[in-house]
Amino acid sequence: MFLAAFTSSGPREVSPDATLLLRLLQKDVSAFEQLYDRHARLVYGLVLRILQHASTSEEVVQDVFLQLWRNAAQYDSARGPFVPWLCTMARNRALDHLRKKGERQRRREELPEELPVLVIAPDYEKVLDDRRRAERVRALMASLTPQQKKAIELAYFEGLSHSEIASALKQPLGTVKSWIRNGLLSLKEGLQAAT
Amino acid sequence: MRNCDQFRELLEAYALGALDPEERAALEAHLAAGCAECAKAVEEARWLVSHLAYAAPEASPSDILKGRLMRTVRAEAQSQADLKSDSLSTKGTIPFWLWAAVAALLIFSVYSTWNMRRLQIEIRESNDRAAALLAQRQKTELQLAAAKREAMIMMDPSSVKFVLARQNAQGPQLEAICHPQLGLVVMGENIPMPSPHHVFQLWFIPKAKGAKPMPSMMVMPDANGKFVMLVSNPPESMGATKALAITEEPEGGSPWPTETPRWVGGVG
Repeated sequence: MFLAAFTSSGPREVSPDATLLLRLLQKDVSAFEQLYDRHARLVYGLVLRILQHASTSEEVVQDVFLQLWRNAAQYDSARGPFVPWLCTMARNRALDHLRKKGERQRRREELPEELPVLVIAPDYEKVLDDRRRAERVRALMASLTPQQKKAIELAYFEGLSHSEIASALKQPLGTVKSWIRNGLLSLKEGLQAAT
Repeated sequence: MRNCDQFRELLEAYALGALDPEERAALEAHLAAGCAECAKAVEEARWLVSHLAYAAPEASPSDILKGRLMRTVRAEAQSQADLKSDSLSTKGTIPFWLWAAVAALLIFSVYSTWNMRRLQIEIRESNDRAAALLAQRQKTELQLAAAKREAMIMMDPSSVKFVLARQNAQGPQLEAICHPQLGLVVMGENIPMPSPHHVFQLWFIPKAKGAKPMPSMMVMPDANGKFVMLVSNPPESMGATKALAITEEPEGGSPWPTETPRWVGGVG
């Protein structure tokens, strides 16, 4: 299945991550180190943004990369690119940690499964390097209304639901839903335009 | 029941994990029902949401984290390599004790097979010897019983002796001793052997007029021309028998005489 993803990908370019992941399946320590060097800053930044605590964030990052090392075969390149998959796993871990520690008293339904749901890249996606992609996303987020940006950040980085956000911001539920949906649609249009 | 358009409004929030429980359950039920369009839209929404990770400020973890992580990974890789090596080593070489055990088992197996066959032959030979002894014993017992009965017939005062004279030729006569309950004994000495594939057969000739001779026992003289024939159950009572006769008949006897009797004697 893993190899089939490369043979069936047609004209799509094989990313450096894909090559490293193939080597990782053979327990290649060097490939693991290269993957860490390529993505540790992004993953750590995300986890730190969620947990707001450096040493706890490093523990979570360590768990994420150890899971990658031990269960690399669980990533299926045919189902989507590697980086969103890795970030989804890191986000889930961080939010799970937040919930278990009881650092935030909030009622939230069960988090997604330990392993992230695979992210399927639509056809219009092209390979962008992390830096360009990050710059683009940050620019698009900055272009949203403050309410849209705030509501999306509360949902993504703090794991709050519509109702919890409405309560936190003291706004009607419908308003919050609109902020989030319209903000995400704006983000989508911006990403499509960028590619 | 909602339609796809209503669910479409929830897809981005679903991918974000922001739906409240009721809405999330309704959407998941819709997806589970197999709506392909909504499923595809959810995948796109997840792709969109995954980009939010880039909205977090990038930060560098400490070198300590990388060092700790790499030490763990290298140790696990080495451990797995050692395990693999041990496994291959175990598969590639068979320890001496195992060879010795196999050799011992083989030798024991060959010895057991040989011993079993030897015992089988011995048991079969032993059984054959026991059967032969038993047959010999039965034969001896029969001979003893016959001899005892012959002696009783010959010694009993109620027995009647008479002679069977040779007919139409010179030769020894036979002696017969008849007992009313124990039977009849016919004896002879220096008797010539019958023709090849022939035996001597005893006949009871009834007193009744027109009655046919009744066949009785067959006998062969021994190497010295002697025989003793015991007739325990005569085909006819001696009271109703006029005479005894002996003819030479083919092996196995005959239901009627095929020649003129060689010996004949009237019952006293």
